[in-house]
Amino acid sequence: MKSRFWKERIFPVVFMVAVTVVFISVVSGIYLSTRDMVKLNESLFLKRAVLYAADITVPGKGAAVDKVYRSRVRERLDSEGLVNHFEILEDNEISGYAVFAGGPGLWGKIEAVIGFTEMRDKLTGVEFIKQNETPGLGARIAEEWFKEQFRGKMGPFVLVPEGTAQAEKEVNAITGATRTSNFVLEIINQSLEDIKEGEWPKLR
Amino acid sequence: MNSAVYPLAVFFAAVFTNNILLANYLGMCSFLSVSRELKTSVGLGAAVTFVMATTSLLNWLVYHYILLPLDLDYLRFIVFIVVIAAFVQLVEMIIERVSETLYAALGIFLPLITVNCAILGVCLFMVIRDYDLLSSFTFGLGSGIGWFLAILAMAGIRQKLARARVPRGLEGAGITLIITGMMALAFMGFTGMIKL
Amino acid sequence: MAKAKVKKVFLDSLGKQNPVFAQVLGICSTLAVTNVLKNTLVMTMGVVFVTALSNFTVSLMRKVIPSRVRMMVETLIIASYVIIVEIALKAFVPDIWRQLGPYVGLIITNCIIMGRAEAFALSNPAGISLVDGLASGIGYAYVLLIIAFFRELMGSGTIWGYQVMGSWWTNWSIMVMPPGAFFMLAVFIWIVKGLLLTHEEKKS
Repeated sequence: MKSRFWKERIFPVVFMVAVTVVFISVVSGIYLSTRDMVKLNESLFLKRAVLYAADITVPGKGAAVDKVYRSRVRERLDSEGLVNHFEILEDNEISGYAVFAGGPGLWGKIEAVIGFTEMRDKLTGVEFIKQNETPGLGARIAEEWFKEQFRGKMGPFVLVPEGTAQAEKEVNAITGATRTSNFVLEIINQSLEDIKEGEWPKLR
Repeated sequence: MNSAVYPLAVFFAAVFTNNILLANYLGMCSFLSVSRELKTSVGLGAAVTFVMATTSLLNWLVYHYILLPLDLDYLRFIVFIVVIAAFVQLVEMIIERVSETLYAALGIFLPLITVNCAILGVCLFMVIRDYDLLSSFTFGLGSGIGWFLAILAMAGIRQKLARARVPRGLEGAGITLIITGMMALAFMGFTGMIKL
Repeated sequence: MAKAKVKKVFLDSLGKQNPVFAQVLGICSTLAVTNVLKNTLVMTMGVVFVTALSNFTVSLMRKVIPSRVRMMVETLIIASYVIIVEIALKAFVPDIWRQLGPYVGLIITNCIIMGRAEAFALSNPAGISLVDGLASGIGYAYVLLIIAFFRELMGSGTIWGYQVMGSWWTNWSIMVMPPGAFFMLAVFIWIVKGLLLTHEEKKS
């Protein structure tokens, strides 16, 4: 009787716990062993984004990115120790700024790094660092051709169907992702207003 | 967007414009096999809605109060699926004891639900989209109702289809997929109705 | 293990018993990313990896798993492998991981993986289970890759991100949007089933 109780009630629970412990420790081991790599990837990704937004050619290799970043970018922290904005340096003089900006997207928040000149009269570039748009549709905002449309201009931008933009203020929307394009445009246009008024664009 | 309206907007978006089945293809397996009959579709739809709404709430709490503070974010897949499986088992046991009619109606569908991708999908989406507690709940509820709506409509259409002549290669799964595609098109018409 | 058996398992999974067009299983998680070939390849590789190894592991443990917690244990095994896939993507190809977002996690609920574990691994030795998992995964992968190929080609005029269609081609936006996947899959099943049916008629 006792053995049956053991077999039907206790053993499955013990077994389940054992299996859980084994698998979770294996997974945790793998996680911990790659954690530094993931952190490095993330910081490198951010550095690349800032350089891209500042219209500085981004080198392919990680070490080279670090070097360029250190010589061209100065991080300005706010009172809480977080990055408030980046100063872009040219011959040790401030030539422009890069800031985080963001707002709602179709699915979740969209966050970008927006770079602009010291005179606050032109965007130097836009790079998206966080977005959860549909892969292959809205997620195409991360594609080169879409981001390049904002470089060197000063909006406010209007959307036109993909492949028809001609005037400086026109931006090609992404076919099948008009709403994501709308959200992105709103973020950028709002940031532009902030920039013109001499404020820092922000995460909304 | 006004924060008081936001959860409501999430709800309607989940039901119509961003329907979990028609826009994200989640829960297809049971959708294709169960939509053959109206009665079972209603049972499964109700069960999915219930489990989705409650597990999204549970998993939100687990994620924000246990996983994040302990820096165990990477274990969320395991934890979510275990919470869902455990919850489903619990509900099955309770229903079995409490009401025989309810068990007869819903009970058999509950085991099917653990492997319904839509439930885990809702939990993963809600985390990645940074919803707050209330929005997560309305998102789960809305997704469930949206799924219910889709399977109900499909079951209705398929009953009519039973007497229609379909090209042989398209019988069964093929024609169901084409109809689903059309439904997806129709639901896309709701786009623009809700602004998140 | 007999070579003939391995061959049979493989051919069945690629052909008549193919999980996608014979059983219409497991399309949920991956269908969403089939509008871009590159994302599809990464996702399906993840599925192949998880199916093969979870089949292998379940088979190794098949004699000790108490039937009461069988499903839970299987889910746990699958989830662990999926986490490993996610960690690997995050560490080694962060750009693709960013594109796929939550869809990697949805591999867990891919019915094929659970289905093969239940139908095959629980009653067969480890070696052949590994082969079966591998074969089912590959059978699944090639169907979705074909779908992705046509969706990307017709929807964006590109293959693997490279423009292949000339300027005369008008993109079928519907192909990259959700309904396109349903239609494409239906047409694919139609063609394959039609071929199989005529083949069988000729035989008899």
